[in-house]
Amino acid sequence: MPPKYYSDDTAWADVTPLPQDEGGPHPLAAINYTEEYSEAMSYLRALMAANEFSARALSLTEHIISMNPAHYTVWLYRAKVLEQTGGDLREEIEWLNPTALQHLKNYQIWHHRQTIIDKLGSPEGEADFISTMLEQDTKNYHVWSYRQWLVKRFGIFDEKELKWTEGMIEEDVRNNSAWNHRYYIVVGGRDGEAVSKDIITREIDYAEAAIRKAPQNQSPWNYLRGIVRYAKLPDSTLKDFALEFADLEKPDDVYSSHALDLLADIYAEEDGKKEEAKKALDLLATKYDPIKANYWNYRKGLLDQAEVAA
Amino acid sequence: MAPAGGSVAGDQSTLNYARHINYWRRNLKTFLPHHYTGNDSNRMTFALFILSALDLLGDLQAALSAEERQGYIEWVYHCQLPEGCFRATPGTDFGSSRNAENKIWDPAHVPGTYFALLILALLGDDLKRVKRREILLWLTKVQRPDGSFGETVGENGQVEGGNDPRFGYMGTGIRWILRGHAEGPVDGVPDIDVDSFVECVRRSETYDGGITEAAFHEAHAGFAACAINALYFVNRLPLPSTPSQTSDSRPRGVSNLPLTLHWLASRQTLTLEHEDAMDTLGYETDTSAACHDSHSFVKLKSYPSTAGVQSFQDLPKSQSELQWVGLNGRCNKIADTCYAFWVSTPLKLLGHLDLVDIKPIRRWLLDRTQHMVGGFGKLPGDPPDIYHSYLGLMVLAIFGEAGLKDVDPALCMSNRVKEHLESLPWRREIVGN
Repeated sequence: MPPKYYSDDTAWADVTPLPQDEGGPHPLAAINYTEEYSEAMSYLRALMAANEFSARALSLTEHIISMNPAHYTVWLYRAKVLEQTGGDLREEIEWLNPTALQHLKNYQIWHHRQTIIDKLGSPEGEADFISTMLEQDTKNYHVWSYRQWLVKRFGIFDEKELKWTEGMIEEDVRNNSAWNHRYYIVVGGRDGEAVSKDIITREIDYAEAAIRKAPQNQSPWNYLRGIVRYAKLPDSTLKDFALEFADLEKPDDVYSSHALDLLADIYAEEDGKKEEAKKALDLLATKYDPIKANYWNYRKGLLDQAEVAA
Repeated sequence: MAPAGGSVAGDQSTLNYARHINYWRRNLKTFLPHHYTGNDSNRMTFALFILSALDLLGDLQAALSAEERQGYIEWVYHCQLPEGCFRATPGTDFGSSRNAENKIWDPAHVPGTYFALLILALLGDDLKRVKRREILLWLTKVQRPDGSFGETVGENGQVEGGNDPRFGYMGTGIRWILRGHAEGPVDGVPDIDVDSFVECVRRSETYDGGITEAAFHEAHAGFAACAINALYFVNRLPLPSTPSQTSDSRPRGVSNLPLTLHWLASRQTLTLEHEDAMDTLGYETDTSAACHDSHSFVKLKSYPSTAGVQSFQDLPKSQSELQWVGLNGRCNKIADTCYAFWVSTPLKLLGHLDLVDIKPIRRWLLDRTQHMVGGFGKLPGDPPDIYHSYLGLMVLAIFGEAGLKDVDPALCMSNRVKEHLESLPWRREIVGN
């Protein structure tokens, strides 16, 4: 698209642009703006200063956003223009879709979308759009945060949402965003109501099955331990499972550093098993997870301190 | 992992001071290229990064004439609003057309105000022209009832901006700059609600020990650092757990320190480039000896094929892999220069920087993401940008890199600047000596 200039456009002839004032000869972080951006910003200032809420104001915000989506008042101004001119909110979403795809890392877009969808009062079409976004980046933080908002706003902590999340985990068992979303669906939507024993068992089984697929994947281990902690079960509940992947009797046959980590915690709590806990931590520090050696050695030090204190 | 350029140990890993100084002086003295237009609204932030980088490198005095120094100070004051606080960019300034009806489009901005105050301190200003009382009053209005902070205050007192712990970090940072750790009203200006802010951080702790932007969102190192920095600014980090120490009644965060330390230490990763993130489930080479955090790490069959053995022999052994260790921002993500800062800072503030091995992290930054023209890129081979270049330099300073100034990790500035702030007479009156 060729650059758009307002000074050549008769529809804007009544507007006196407000040029940017840097306040002196020594601006900081000054940017070599394109002529197009400089001019558009001058017209934006003029319209904002006049509190003009009009169709042309809407198109000007669109132009600015295409060049600088992080402008913090242009979005608020746009929302106000939409409100004052009775703009079609469905059309707004239609425009936001490609804009979000162009600016994957921008979060103002999502905040704005949230405001619009909230007003529309329906999540219709949102799931499809989220899928399109996740095709670009399956771990896009803003998209997952937005999905959580949708789930909460429309009370859809349901079986369908859980199935969708399972699909995302199946596609990539290492997608931590998807695991986190599962935790939100299972634990987050309950308004203080406890998760039933059956669901806790189901979640433990689910995480364990995922670990058996890829034992060195942190995400389901974190999830598993998070669920166990939430249910206030002791870590020792998971001892037999951990032993499937790491047995201190067979130190050359370890399938997962996370199993050793868990075993170290379990043995630290068991009477007379401090040496086993230290052995697990030693294996981690020296062989199975040496990049975190400092951390494992620190944990070993804590065991010694506990001994002294006892 | 890509083969090293004939390097074994880290002796040749050096910070190229001259190139970094060139890079930052260029950012200071010439216009930033137009692809920074998307950061037009972050100009105050970038201004601080540029000046502070030169300060860390010990080049600030040499880089600035007295006239330039004063000119920059005036530029910052030019961004002060008539009602107090700062805009983040001259781009929203309506000049003489600004009035009560249109000023909502040119609002006081939390990051703009935080970085404006830091720039003034960095340049040796006494902040006497800053409308400090107005800022402190406004801070109470940009805090939401749930304890979190927004970015601006909009129409009808509505707090605008997303759920973003960066605003809590900078909001509490502004408070620290203007009134230290003093709690309660100062000079008749009410305090922010510190307790509800701490509760807000605690609600944002995740099941794996990380911290996120709001309850149940995914743990993220940037947000964890902002939260922990903010707790430091309001003096609500966990008390050291000595047997004689009894806890006080004030809410503190984080609520499960051992788990948070586990999560922070787990940000160390060997996934430094996109190809490192390949899942090797089912590959014969996928064993603990070639341990790679992104690998599936299955047991090698008892009788591997010759091909399997050979390809395994070509893989780096864990000892040599440890030459470089990166830090990521989330579980199962690639390392990124800025996360070296976002992970190391909270560890340092919690008194546990020794939980990570800074030597291979330093080598990763210097050998892989440091750029030959100066500055740092996000990933190996990426061109430098202001954001990654500043945080890369800052984290090396936190590690104690020789030749860089001592720094305060929470303020993200040199201690010289912090000491200047602490020496200001008006501040000493509020904070005490």
